[in-house]
Amino acid sequence: MPDTQWPIFEVFHQQARGEPHVHVGSIHAPDAEMALILAKEQFARRQACVNLWVVPVEAIVATGYEDSDIFDRATDKSYRESWGYTTPKTVRAGDQKGSKP
Amino acid sequence: MKRFEALDDLKGATRDAVVDLLYRLGDDDLIMGHRDSEWTGLAPILEGDIAFSSMAQDKMGHSQAYYQMLHALGEPDPDKLAFGRKARQFRCAALACLPNDRDWALCIIRQFLYDSAGMVRLTALCDSTLTPLGQLARKLRGEKKYHLLHGRSWILRIGHSTREAGEKLQAALDRSYPFALGLFEPTEADEPLVQAGIAPREDELRKQWESAVAPVLIDAGLRVPETAVAVTGGRSGRHPEALAELLKNMQMVYSLDPTAKW
Repeated sequence: MPDTQWPIFEVFHQQARGEPHVHVGSIHAPDAEMALILAKEQFARRQACVNLWVVPVEAIVATGYEDSDIFDRATDKSYRESWGYTTPKTVRAGDQKGSKP
Repeated sequence: MKRFEALDDLKGATRDAVVDLLYRLGDDDLIMGHRDSEWTGLAPILEGDIAFSSMAQDKMGHSQAYYQMLHALGEPDPDKLAFGRKARQFRCAALACLPNDRDWALCIIRQFLYDSAGMVRLTALCDSTLTPLGQLARKLRGEKKYHLLHGRSWILRIGHSTREAGEKLQAALDRSYPFALGLFEPTEADEPLVQAGIAPREDELRKQWESAVAPVLIDAGLRVPETAVAVTGGRSGRHPEALAELLKNMQMVYSLDPTAKW
């Protein structure tokens, strides 16, 4: 069924400055400014929030689920993960001394 | 000017004037909040429904904060103040009493006029010599700012849409404006509050409000009803019949058993 309401905006919510904006849902609104106003009550009324983004749904370019096999790993790529490595003793000792980042 | 660091520092006529002011502030927000809550489930769009419902909770929260101050000054507790009083004991302006009549234009215009007045008032109260009131005003201002933004955004959009929408909005403005002026009905508390630096004079706030709302109304393509005459009486307990009907509904459960423990 076609959506006969206002255009859809995707809403991204930021819990604290410096944190990532996290997608929390979508909203109908006549324009972007109104989407921010309505999204505030829809998505920021329960959890802490310092900033909201709204993005017109058409602006989002997505991969197709029929192509989701592009994300499969044909060979072992555990070297890309942090757990794929064994930490040398000397490095671990450094960690325990509380070396500053 | 002398500061009042605690409510207990208030004496005599100053104390009575603060009690009067807090009743006006609390009752406006409680009754307006109830009107906002009447949109729950009925607003033209889901998002608008949720926004009004949330703002209703904000306004009831604000009234509770004022009622808690009243209670600290020896008045009954907040529940009793909200649910245990008759219409003539309320001090709200008639603007809040106007029934919604499922009229979106009216409620949006009213919200804009009401919350603009609230913003002007809270901003002034931030500088109050009564420290706890200044602190409360600063705390409530963020939510008030949102309510104002909500009302403003809606009227600018309705005003710039179809001709019919513009006409409905103008009719709603013409109808509600005299009631909005009633928010600044002078009372006997004005003088002691001004003398003590606790709150500005009502007619001073009205001037600030008029210069705040006019540009937005004009931006929305509306004519400001400059010759409108304030509907007064609310500040002395004379209300339209609509308030008694609202209270009957709002106080229904509490009145079944006022001594029940929740």
